[in-house]
Amino acid sequence: MRRTLLRVAWRASSVALVLALWEGVARSGLVNPRLFPSLATIGTEFVSLFTTGIIWEHLGATLVRVAGGFSAAAAAGILLGFVMARFVVFGRLFEPFFSATYPVPRVAVYPIFVLAFGLGHLSKIALVFLECLYPIAINTYYGTRAVDRQYVWASQNMGASPRQVFWKVVIPAAAPHIFAGLRIALPVALVIAVITEMIGATEGIGYLVAYAAASLSRAQVFAGVLVIAIVGFVLDRGITFARDRLIFWERPSVAIG
Amino acid sequence: MIVEVERVSKEFARGEQRVLAVDDVSLTVAEGEFVTIVGPSGCGKSTLLHLLGGFLEASSGTMRVDGNVVTRPGPDRGMMFQDLALFPWRTVSGNVGWALEVQGRPAAERVQVTDRYLQLVGLRSFKNAFPHELSGGMKQRVALARVLAFDPAVLLMDEPFGSLDAQTRELMQEELQRIWATTRKTVLFVTHDIDEAVYLGDRVIVFTARPGRIKADLAIDLPRPRPIELKKSPAFFEHRNRVWDLLREEVLRARDEESA
Amino acid sequence: MRRAAEGLAIPVAVLAVWEALSATGVLPRYVSRPSAVGAELSQLVGSGDVVQHAAVSLYRSMAGLAIGALSGVVLGLLSGSIRAFAVFFDPLVSFTNPVPKIAILPVLIVWFGITDTSKIVLIAITTFYPCFIAAYAGVRQVQPAWIWAARNMGARADQVFRKVIVPAASPHILGGLRIALALAFILMFASEAIGTAHRAGLGYLVIFAESGGRHDLMLAAITAIGLLGFAADRLLLLVARRVLRWQPEVFRA
Repeated sequence: MRRTLLRVAWRASSVALVLALWEGVARSGLVNPRLFPSLATIGTEFVSLFTTGIIWEHLGATLVRVAGGFSAAAAAGILLGFVMARFVVFGRLFEPFFSATYPVPRVAVYPIFVLAFGLGHLSKIALVFLECLYPIAINTYYGTRAVDRQYVWASQNMGASPRQVFWKVVIPAAAPHIFAGLRIALPVALVIAVITEMIGATEGIGYLVAYAAASLSRAQVFAGVLVIAIVGFVLDRGITFARDRLIFWERPSVAIG
Repeated sequence: MIVEVERVSKEFARGEQRVLAVDDVSLTVAEGEFVTIVGPSGCGKSTLLHLLGGFLEASSGTMRVDGNVVTRPGPDRGMMFQDLALFPWRTVSGNVGWALEVQGRPAAERVQVTDRYLQLVGLRSFKNAFPHELSGGMKQRVALARVLAFDPAVLLMDEPFGSLDAQTRELMQEELQRIWATTRKTVLFVTHDIDEAVYLGDRVIVFTARPGRIKADLAIDLPRPRPIELKKSPAFFEHRNRVWDLLREEVLRARDEESA
Repeated sequence: MRRAAEGLAIPVAVLAVWEALSATGVLPRYVSRPSAVGAELSQLVGSGDVVQHAAVSLYRSMAGLAIGALSGVVLGLLSGSIRAFAVFFDPLVSFTNPVPKIAILPVLIVWFGITDTSKIVLIAITTFYPCFIAAYAGVRQVQPAWIWAARNMGARADQVFRKVIVPAASPHILGGLRIALALAFILMFASEAIGTAHRAGLGYLVIFAESGGRHDLMLAAITAIGLLGFAADRLLLLVARRVLRWQPEVFRA
């Protein structure tokens, strides 16, 4: 326990260094304090977001969109991935499609979704769904295809029915890949939700930050960014935790980088 | 004596534990000798080779090659690694000529030397292929050509044929023996395979289970050149069985230690 | 090439159905006929308008990508090879990676205003991450035996870095570049849609068209963005295939 704490502290030291630098610059008077608030100012603003209750409506909206889009994409993507792996026709049809359209910025169709679904939740959930579908479906597809035939044969040898083979062998064997797809998709969900809120929305953290920037409440901009950062961080740790629990037979997730 | 190992020990720290891999080993190798080293798994024989190669530092003792103390890796002791370590991003000839490249030799010379050694191992027509296009046996031959190309004084070979199937392995042993006869390099060859050790070596050194010490140093007085059929002869069996008896004790010891 | 063609099977089919449905008047007004969109697009290209907007968009995204990718790859390679660099950069990158970089845009707007600079900086920061992470991971998976073999053959430290570490890490690096390229286009659109001073750029064009009810133009601009993104990726894949021709298997998404 102590060793882990020490390790975390050691790693946090360069982050602390950067923060100290920030504070130094902010207080030095070299830059306009309105453009470069000190950590204290940001902190105060951050806290007031919560104490005044402004944040909850916006945070809630964003989380609804993230959760809605992500879970829909997870369900559809995993299903699609399985279908693609199981039925060669679907695989040959969809895989090149995903691969070829992967670099096309699907955000660009957001205005169409707004026209179709309005400025509320649905247009954003739809885009989140579309974006998250890609990594989840692709990873599920590859993960399922990569399941060692010998696992399947061994289970059949031991008398498992096709259903049992699917649930007890294929799914656990493909699970690491599926989770890799989920782990990629979750931050994407947050990014897309925030982007759509900045482009056109009436609530949401992205909207809040963009509005604050436009109305020159600069400290609030920084505080809002901090909220987004924390949400992103928590989501990432959350899915890492879930992955390490559910896929206990593989090494624990490595920190990125 | 071209290789001198004097009372070398190597200790590894694994977390809290200290593991003694090599314990007070001394040996000498004369120029042009082919020495094979056998021992149970984990007995430190590969470690000894890595020490001689200069990749690891000895905990105590000294090693000298051609009079110079060993402190770091260098082209005077050519190493053929267990997993070959061919550079997948270079062609066959790119790999074979790599040492000459980093040493700054002119292109014309590199081509000449590379061709010569590729010819020696029979792969000249594959010079522009990439490693992933080659079979296991072919990769072995490329690795061999690579280590010969920069003309090291001593060859260190770490279970080079370990990953081959039994048939290819036999062919490679005969190949190696033929090539060695033309170049007469000093070789230290580590292996699990007793037959291989006796077939290839002028001397067979038997290592104990961990911590590795020299248990026996047997002279193999079989005549050279050694065709592969030699493996069927009674004289071969005699040597082989002697080695096996010595080794068997150690293998059992190692196994008991594992389950302890 | 064949795979690219296969990939377009579904979109082509969708377009065909779309065109047919448009004729029947069943679709909502903002979903223009593909043929109308195509006409609008070719007219735009002809008049040079779209080229101008595309040029501005590409300038922003590619400048940002160049900065982000270069710094990311170099620092990633260094961090993978030299402990001191890793100790400093790894925690910073790890902590800040889950943060959606788009969140920085309002901060950048506060500092630089709604200018090209804020867009380029945003794209640079965002593309830095996948390149750093990929280069770092690429170095970490270099087999020690390769490094030993190189040193055995007499290579100096800088030769080991140039001739072993960099080539060995190149598949990872190119994977990171592919992700960075996709991100560059996404952020190019997003930053232009949120605000642009010179009234230029494809993202701006989409919003401008949408608010003016000019749906043909809107779809044309969206199509242009999509085509650019696709083309850029194909270009990268072409380069990657050449550089990585020693690999047994070609890139996947």
